[in-house]
Parts: sequence; C-alpha cells; structure tokens
Amino acid sequence: MRLAGRRLLRSPWLFAGPAVAASIVFVWLPMVSTLGLSFFDWSLLRQEATWRGLAHYRETLANSDFHLALSNTGLYLGVLLPLQVGVPLVLALALVRVRARAVGRVYRTALFAPSVLSFPVAAVVWLWLFNPTVGFLNTLLAAAGLPAQRWLSDPDLAIWSVIAVAFWKSFGLNLLIFLAALANLPKDVAEAARIDGAGPFRQAIDIDIPLVSPAIFFAVVTTIIVVLDEIVGAVDVLTEGGPYRTSSNLLYFLYERGFRHFQFGEAAAVAVLIAAIVALVTWAQFRFGERHVHYD
Amino acid sequence: MSRAVSRRRLTLATAAAALAAPALLPRASLGADTRIDFVHLWSGADHPVQKVIEAFNAKGTGVTVVSRQDGTTYETITQKAMSSIAAGRGPALMTTGWKLGDFARKTLGAQDFRQIYGADRTDALLGKFRPQVRPLASVGGVPIGLPWSMSTPVLYINQTLWMAAGLGPEAEPRTVEELYPMVRQLQERTGKQGLIYEVNEWLPQAFIQNAGGDVIDADGKPVMDSAAAVKGIEAFVQPRRENLWKPMTISEMIASFQAGAIGVMASSSARQSGVRQAASFDLRLLQMPGLAGHPRRMNSGGNFLAVYSKVKEQQEGAYKFMEFIASREGFELWLATGYLNVTLNDIPVRPGNEAAHAQMEAGLTSETIWPGARGLEALTVHIDWISKIVNGAVSVPDGLRGSREAVEKLTSA
Repeated sequence: MRLAGRRLLRSPWLFAGPAVAASIVFVWLPMVSTLGLSFFDWSLLRQEATWRGLAHYRETLANSDFHLALSNTGLYLGVLLPLQVGVPLVLALALVRVRARAVGRVYRTALFAPSVLSFPVAAVVWLWLFNPTVGFLNTLLAAAGLPAQRWLSDPDLAIWSVIAVAFWKSFGLNLLIFLAALANLPKDVAEAARIDGAGPFRQAIDIDIPLVSPAIFFAVVTTIIVVLDEIVGAVDVLTEGGPYRTSSNLLYFLYERGFRHFQFGEAAAVAVLIAAIVALVTWAQFRFGERHVHYD
Repeated sequence: MSRAVSRRRLTLATAAAALAAPALLPRASLGADTRIDFVHLWSGADHPVQKVIEAFNAKGTGVTVVSRQDGTTYETITQKAMSSIAAGRGPALMTTGWKLGDFARKTLGAQDFRQIYGADRTDALLGKFRPQVRPLASVGGVPIGLPWSMSTPVLYINQTLWMAAGLGPEAEPRTVEELYPMVRQLQERTGKQGLIYEVNEWLPQAFIQNAGGDVIDADGKPVMDSAAAVKGIEAFVQPRRENLWKPMTISEMIASFQAGAIGVMASSSARQSGVRQAASFDLRLLQMPGLAGHPRRMNSGGNFLAVYSKVKEQQEGAYKFMEFIASREGFELWLATGYLNVTLNDIPVRPGNEAAHAQMEAGLTSETIWPGARGLEALTVHIDWISKIVNGAVSVPDGLRGSREAVEKLTSA
C-alpha cells in the first residue's frame, strides 16, 4: 500500500516530466542565461566575458534608435489593434447574416487565405506590389492620374506600408474566430430580441458583441502578440527597418543588435527590456480588459 | 567439434576486423576523402560557384568540397558560422565580405595564413594574385584570406532607352558633370526615370574618394565630413534634387532596372550576370564616372576566402581548393559571375566586363573596413546618415558630421 502510494505520488511527475523538462531547457534556462548575459560583453567565441553591470541597459535606454523603435512599436500597436479586431468583427457580423451560404463561404475563404502565409512570404508578395516603378499599386495610381509613391523607401510611408501588409495578412484569423463565436450564439436570445423589435444593428451592439466578448478578448491578446512579435518578419523583408529606422520596431532593434552587429550582451539587455514591456502590456490587458468580458 | 569452434572463431574474428578497420586504418588507404565545408551565399545549381566546386571535386585530389549556402548576405552566413565556430566546428572556408575583415580577424578567428601554411606556401598561393590586391585580404598586416571576389561600381546603361533618347550609342560620360545632362535628356525624351544610385555605404565611398576625401583614414579615424567628402556627397545627391533619381531599396532598384523602367543604374559589376540574364533590352556597362577636376579613385568590393577551421586536415584541404581556385581553370569558371580577374592568369576579359576590368587596371582602393568591436554598428549608422541626406532630412554637411560623430563614438568604444 505504501509502495502503491509512493507510485501514485510519482506518476503525475512522470507524465508531466517531459513537458516540464522541455520548458526548463527551452524557456526558463534561456531566460536566465539571457538575463545573465545582459550584464556582460561576450562574443560567443571567447572564453572570457567582460563585466559591464548595468551599462548595456543605460546605453540602450539612452539610444535614440531604441526610442524610435519603441514609439514605432506603439504606433504599430495603436493602429493594428483596432484594425485587426474591429474590421474582422464588423465583417463577421455582416457575413453571419448573409443568407446565401456559398457567397459566405467564398468571402470567408478569400479573406482567410492570407493568414496561412508566413509574414516573410506575405512580404515577398507585397514587395512586387509596392515596387515604385513597375508595381501594381503605382500602376493603379498612374491610371487614376495620381503620382507614384515610394511605398517602402519614403520615410513617411514605409511604416504604413508595413502596417498594411500586417493587417492584410493577419485579420483573416480573427475573422474566423469571430464567425465561429457568432455561429455558436444561442438562437433563442436572438429570436427574443427580434420579437422585441430589435433591428440588426441594435442586435449586433447589445446582443452579439457582449456574447462574443470572450472571443474578442482572445483576439485582442493574440493580436498584441502578433504585433509585438511576428511582424518583424515583414519589417525585415520589406524595409529592413528603414529608411533610417523609421519602420523598425523593438524586436527588429533586438535582431540588429544581436545578429547584424553581433553585440550579444547588448541584445540580451534589449531582450530583457522587451520582456518587461510585454509583461506590463499583458498585465494591463487582463487587469483592464478582462473586466469587460462576459463569460457564460 | 574443434573444427566447428575454429570456423566460428575465424568468422567472428573476420567480422570484428571488418568493423574495426575504419577506426584503425588510415583514411586514405580506405579511399575516404577529406570533406571540407565551403560556406558561401550563392544559390542555384548553375551558379559558377557550383561549377568551380564540381570541377575541383572531379579531380580526385583526396579532398571533397561540400557546398553550403547558409544565407544570401554576408551577415547571415556569418551569424550561422558563429555557432559552428563556437562549437569548435568552424567551416573550413567561408566567403567573408571585405567590410567584415576586422570582425573576421578579431572576433571570428579567421586563421593567419602564415601560421597555418608557413610563409613559403602562403607567398606561393597569394603570389598568383595581382600585387595590388594581395594586401586587401590582410588585416593589420596579417594575411587572413584569398582575395577571390572583387567588384567595382559601374554604370549599367539601358541602351535601348539611351538610343531612344537620341544619345550617342558609344557616348561614355567620364564625369558626373557629363553624365547628369545625358540622364536628364533620357528622362525628358523617354518618360522613364533617368538614374538610380544604391543608397548604402559603398557607392557614396566612390563619390567621397573621387572628390579627394576618405571615409576612414589610414589611422582608422572617421573623416567622412571633410570638405572633400562633402563635395563628393553633394555630387552624389545632385540628381536626387533635380528629380532625376527617386531613391528606392536595392532590391526594388534591380527589379525596376531589369524591367526597363530606369535608364541608368550605378551598381556593383558583380550583378552583371544576373542583370544581363533578366533584362530584355540591350545592356551596356561603362566605367563609373569621376568628378571633374579630380583624379579618379574608385573603390572595390566583394569578398575574400578565409579559413576558420582549426583542424589541420581541414586547413590542408582548404589550401588544395584555394590552389585550384587561383588556377587558370578555376578562375575562368569563376569569372562567369562578373567578378574581376584579380589573378595573374592570362584570361580574356569576358564580354560585358570590359569597363570593370579597365577600372581595375587603373587601380582600385579597398572597400572601407569598419574598425573596432562596434565597427558593424558604425557601418549601419553611417548608412542611416547617408539615407537621411538622400531623403533631404538633413543637409550634406550636417549629415556627414552626424555620421562622423556617431561613428567616432562607436569605433573608439
């Protein structure tokens, strides 16, 4: 009985062990190593590392390129979050009311298709569309009698071009999430609202949106992750953060420090700062956002 | 009974010997070649680098070169090489950008040829190259590479647009003062963008030098804001101010030129084979124009081959491959890229490469090597300031001064 009891105590660890081990090796150990590396100068190829203390943090926080990357990240978030949540929600509310199922399916497929591409692949497609002399966009502008634009090399336009690509690529996933959530709403609630005289607009605002608020909250959380993390692939392919860092973001700033300049200590410090910013944003989401979520 | 045991023992002993042989006998006696990794940045089964490797491997020297394309930029292949080098398994050979020379020597650990091959063998190998290029693969006087790939800035002319604009088919502007009116005429008469320059550190270096200035001086100090350098960059941005040049990224530039949307492109001679294949118009290459009243001082670019492995067998294998590369047969295959013949081999100049070759014969300076532990960051900062100047965000003197101050801070760190 004692042996059986000991086996019973050990067995959860045996089941969870591989996942815990993987988490330690691939998540926690690298995090601790990164934190440690941020206090040193180390090139990866030398045995010795030079202690720098908080110098990397001070230098990063004083770096004007870091400030620009931070404000650009704020812009990406400020523009993409409402676009990538608001537009799919409106489209989903419209599509769910389309009676012709075939039409709805065509639209859903067409709007979702870009989501299956990776950011770098999507960016390569748009490189051709954005070409200032032979690209499709400037051809359209020329046909309308408008001047051609330097979509990726104009410092005022480059960041908006990356935003456009990020929006095009990512909003389809949120559309699918909202469609699924709307399709699963209880029909009796909607019918009761119709009987009471609620029109489609009132029904959407007062019934549908509150009931899909868990899906909206999920979309907000995942969109923030995409904007903070994944669009760096588009930045790298389209603009390499240029011209002169005007389209760079925090992650691209980190990538440059580590893998273009080979300053690993400084890159580690930037990674720690980014982790702190992401933790703050995540806390704010749950602290202020979740209170508006209506769970059944 | 005893015979059965003897046969069994004999069978077991033979099997054990066969399994142990690879560990005990010298590899050569087993016919096993030394395999060396050659890391580069060119893709495609038809690329001349594959032809060079295949030709060498076919010779059966006892060394097999394994082609590894680890990225498409010098930075990408260097990133991946760092991991291998840190693990003690650095590539035997890797193409290393000239601008990364200091980094390659001091951080990556590119091997000193004299240390691994001895002075005589090093001199024998480097002696196959033109005297003026031999020092280019040395950092601090230490020979760390084979000066393999050299390019220089040239003008790519869309000859179809050139002729349509009424410009002389053999007209060759020798200075930018001659070039810009021709470009204006081309733009006005054809409606196509007249000119495009690369916005990076390399092409502006040519303008700075042609005006009598330097980017980094012989003592490693940034001097890109001298009066001469300002004059050079003023000439560089002049077509931008006159709406003859709308800046774009380098990949956009190449695609646009190949599509016939731009009349004249200034870029590396190494792009020649790709541009020629993709262009559907007549293409002519000209020497890069200088500045009137100043001696021409054109720069070079490209990469050198460095040895990163610390294993003697790998180093010797790399030496054999480099001997082949420097031979007439190997280099003739390599010249299909559009890079220049920097060897003493008497190889006819490839059609289309005459301009770049003539520019090399007249003498080229090295590409700027960015010194110090933060040299690569300094390079990025300098490119940003050039980009600000081109986009009109700052004036030329202010932009170059900003660059000098920032680069000084980084390279002295």
